[in-house]
Amino acid sequence: MSSGFQVGRRRRTLLTALLTAGLLVGACGGADDPLLIYSGRGEELVGPLIEEFSDSSGLEVEVRYAGSTELASTLLEEGSGTEADVFLAQDPASLGLAAPLMATLPSDVIEAVPPRFRDRGHRWVGVSGRIRTVIYDRDQVQVSDLPASIDDLLDPRWAGMIGVAPTNGSFLAFVAAMILDRGEAATLEWLKELAALDPLDYPKNSPIVAAADAGEVGLGLVNHYYLLRLQAEGAGKRAANHFLSAGDPGSLVMPSGVGVLSGSEQSEDAHRFIEFLLSETAQRYFAEQTYEYPLAAGVRPAASLPPIDSIPTPAIDLSDLHTALERATDLVAEAGLL
Amino acid sequence: MGVARPAPRLRALPPNTWWWVLAGVVMLPAAAPLGVLAYGLVSGVVTTVPMARLLELAANTGALGAAVTSTSLLIGGASAWLVSRTDLPGKKLATVLVLTPFAVPSFVGALALLGATGADGILSTAWAWMGGDVIRYPSGFWAAWLVLTLISVPLVHLAVAPAVRSLNPTLEEAARGLGAGRLKVFWTVTLPQLRPSLTAGALLVGLYTLSDFGAVSLLRYDTFTRAIYLEYAGRVDRRPALGLAAVLAAVAVLLVWLERGTRTRGVWFTARPRRTGSPVRLGLGGKILGWGFLGTLVTVSLLVPVAVLIAWVMRGLISGVLVNQPWAELGRSMWVALLTALVAGVVVAPVAMVTTRYRNRWAGLLEGGAWALYGVPHIAVGMAMIVFTLWLARPLYQTLVLLVGVYVVMFLPQILGPSRDSLGRVSPSMEEASRSLGRSPLRTFMGITLPLMAPGLLSGAALVFLTTLRELPATLLLRPAGFETLAIRVWSATGEGFYTQGALAGLLLLLVAALPLAIVTRHELIR
Repeated sequence: MSSGFQVGRRRRTLLTALLTAGLLVGACGGADDPLLIYSGRGEELVGPLIEEFSDSSGLEVEVRYAGSTELASTLLEEGSGTEADVFLAQDPASLGLAAPLMATLPSDVIEAVPPRFRDRGHRWVGVSGRIRTVIYDRDQVQVSDLPASIDDLLDPRWAGMIGVAPTNGSFLAFVAAMILDRGEAATLEWLKELAALDPLDYPKNSPIVAAADAGEVGLGLVNHYYLLRLQAEGAGKRAANHFLSAGDPGSLVMPSGVGVLSGSEQSEDAHRFIEFLLSETAQRYFAEQTYEYPLAAGVRPAASLPPIDSIPTPAIDLSDLHTALERATDLVAEAGLL
Repeated sequence: MGVARPAPRLRALPPNTWWWVLAGVVMLPAAAPLGVLAYGLVSGVVTTVPMARLLELAANTGALGAAVTSTSLLIGGASAWLVSRTDLPGKKLATVLVLTPFAVPSFVGALALLGATGADGILSTAWAWMGGDVIRYPSGFWAAWLVLTLISVPLVHLAVAPAVRSLNPTLEEAARGLGAGRLKVFWTVTLPQLRPSLTAGALLVGLYTLSDFGAVSLLRYDTFTRAIYLEYAGRVDRRPALGLAAVLAAVAVLLVWLERGTRTRGVWFTARPRRTGSPVRLGLGGKILGWGFLGTLVTVSLLVPVAVLIAWVMRGLISGVLVNQPWAELGRSMWVALLTALVAGVVVAPVAMVTTRYRNRWAGLLEGGAWALYGVPHIAVGMAMIVFTLWLARPLYQTLVLLVGVYVVMFLPQILGPSRDSLGRVSPSMEEASRSLGRSPLRTFMGITLPLMAPGLLSGAALVFLTTLRELPATLLLRPAGFETLAIRVWSATGEGFYTQGALAGLLLLLVAALPLAIVTRHELIR
C-alpha cells in the first residue's frame, strides 16, 4: 500500500509541475513584448514578407490572422485595451471601421502613397492595389459580348453562368461601394436581379477563377490578381480578365492598407513595419509574388496589367467605404445571395 | 515513510465536503458560457436577428439534421446488424474499418470532397483523363449531407451494435412460429427492441449535425453555425451572433436532455439477462453482398478521402508549391491537446467522486451541467466566452489559460463517463477499510481509489486528447494571437483554396489522431 502512495505522489508532483508550466506559458505574454500585428491578409500571402521584416529589423513579431472585418470588429470590441500594435487589412472598409482607434501616421509615410489610396484623416495608408474585374472563359464568351458595366451583367443570357463569392470581403466591399455610388435601393435591386440569374456560389475568388479556367462558369466577379497567380502555376490559359469600362463599382480600385493603433506602446517599431511595407523590397514582392499593384517606391506592376490610372473607377472616397459595409451584408442576405 | 500533512484548516472539514468544494470549483467555469447564452436568450438579444432569417436557418438546419440522421441510421443500422448478428467473416476488421471514419473531422471530410472535385480536383482530373467532363464543386445541402452522413455512421454503429448483439432471439422465433412473415417480424418484434438504441443514435447524430461548423462552413450550407460565424466575422455588432448562438444552444440542450432520457432506458433495456441467438447465416452471395456494402462504405468514407489528401500532397511536392509546412501547428496541436487531457484527468477526479459516491440533487446538478455544456455547439460556447471575457474577465481574453479551460469544461463528460465506470467498480468498503486503518483521506484516494480509476481515466483522457485535436470553432474564436493549430490550418487553407497546404495539415491531423483513436476503439471493442 505504501508503494501505491509513493507512485501516486510522484505522479501528482509530475502533473502539478506540468500544469504549472503550462499555465505559466499561457499567462505570461513574455517579458519583452513582440510587435503584434492583426493581419486580415492570409498567412500564405504576407507570411513570408513579415518574416523578412522580422529578420531584417531584428524585431520579434507576432501575427493574429483572421478575416479583415472580423479583426476590425475585434479591435472595436477590445477598444483602447487592445494589445495589437498594427492592423493590416485587405480592404478600406475594415480599415475605416478601425480608424477611430488608430493614430495619425507621420507625413513621410502618408505621402509615399497617392491621396486616393489613403485615409482622409491620415490614419491608414494603402499598401497594394487590387482591382475588381470580370473573369471570363474565352471558349464560352466572345470578346464582343463582354459586358461594359455591371448592369450588362444582368442580361438573361448570363443566367446560370456567373460565379460569385457573396460572403467574401472583396465582394462585400464592392457592394458597399455600390451603395455609396448608387444608393441602397438601387443596390438591392441590382443584387436581386443578380440572384434571379441563379449565379454559382463560391466561398472565395480563387475557385471562381479556376472554374472559369475549366469552363465551369462563363463569367465571374473577382479581383484581378487571382488569374495571374493561376498563370504563374502554369494554368489559367483559358480564362481572361476583363476590366469594366463604365467606371462603375465593377472596376473598383481598392487598396489593402495598414495603420497603427493609438494605444500601441511600440509605435516606432510599428512605423518601421509600415515603412518596410512601402519600401521597394516589399512593393516588389506585391508586384511579383501577389500580382497586386504596387502603390509606392515607383515599382511597376506585372507587365500584363494595364496601368492603374487607366482604370475608370467610381468617384467615391474610400475613407467612407466602411459606413456602407454593414448595410452591404444585410442587402446581400436580403437579396437571397447567401 | 513520507507523511502528507494536510493543512490544519483542511482537516477541519469532513473529507467529503472537500470533494464537494473541489467539484464545485471545477464546474464553476461551466456556468460562464451557460449563463451568457441564457442571458442572450432572455434579454432580447435574439430580436436583433430578423424572424425570417431565424426561420430560414431553422428550416435549413432541420432539413440537414433530418437527412443526415435518417441516412446514417439506415447505413449504420445495416453495418451494426452485419457485424453483430450475422456470420460475416472478418468481423473484427469490419468493426475497426467501420469505426475509423470517426477520426475524420468534418472539415477534413469537406476538404477531401472539395479537393476531389472542381476544376483541378483529383477525381475531376482522373475523370477528365478518361474523357469525362469536370465534376462540379459540390456545395450546399447535398455536399454537407454527404460528408456529415459518412462521419455519423460510426456514431450510429456504436449506439446500435450492442443492442443488436443482445437481441432476444426467442421473441423472433416465437413470432415466426406463430406464422408471422420475415418482414412482419422485423417491424413488430425486432425493431421495437432496437428502438431505444436507434433513438439514442438518432439524437446523437442530430446533435452532431446541429453542432457541426467545419463542413457546413466550407461547403457553404446556410445553417445556424455558419450564420453565427458569418455574423461574427462580417459585422461589428455582436448581438446577432450571440442571439443566434443562444437559440442554437437552447435547441442543443433540449436534444441532450432527450438523449440522456433514452440512454438510461437503453441501459435498463439491454441489462436484462437473456440468451443471445445464433448468428444469422449468410450464404456465399450474402457474404459477398455484405462485404461489398462494408467495402463501399469504407472506400467512400475513408479510403477515397485519404487518397485525395495524399494526392494533393504529392502534387504539391512535385510542383514545389508546398512551402509553408505546418510543423509549428503540429507541435501546438499536440501540446495543447496533451495539456487539456492532463488537466481534464486531474480535475475530473472530484466530479467523478461526488457524482458516483453521493447520488443527490447537487450531484445531479453538477452532472447535468457538464452534459448540457457538452451538447452546446462549440461555436456557441466560443461566442459566449468572447462576450464573457470582454465584459467580465478581461485578463483571460484570448489567453491559453482560457482556451484550455474551455476545452476542459466542454469535454469533461468524455472523461467523466469512463472514470465513473471505473470508480463504480471500486467498492467504497475498500476506502473505508483504508480509512479505518488510519490513512488520511488524501492518502486513501492516492493509494486506493486513483489506481483503480486509472483505466477509465486513461481511456477518457485519450478521448479528450482526440477531441481537442479536432476542435475547430471554439479554437477559431478563442485562440491567442498566432496560436494556429492543425485544425485551424486545414480550415483556413481550405477556405482560401490552398488545398495542398490544407491536405498536408489534414493528413498530419489524421496521423496524430490514430493512436488515441486506437485506445478509444479498443475500449469500445472490449465493451
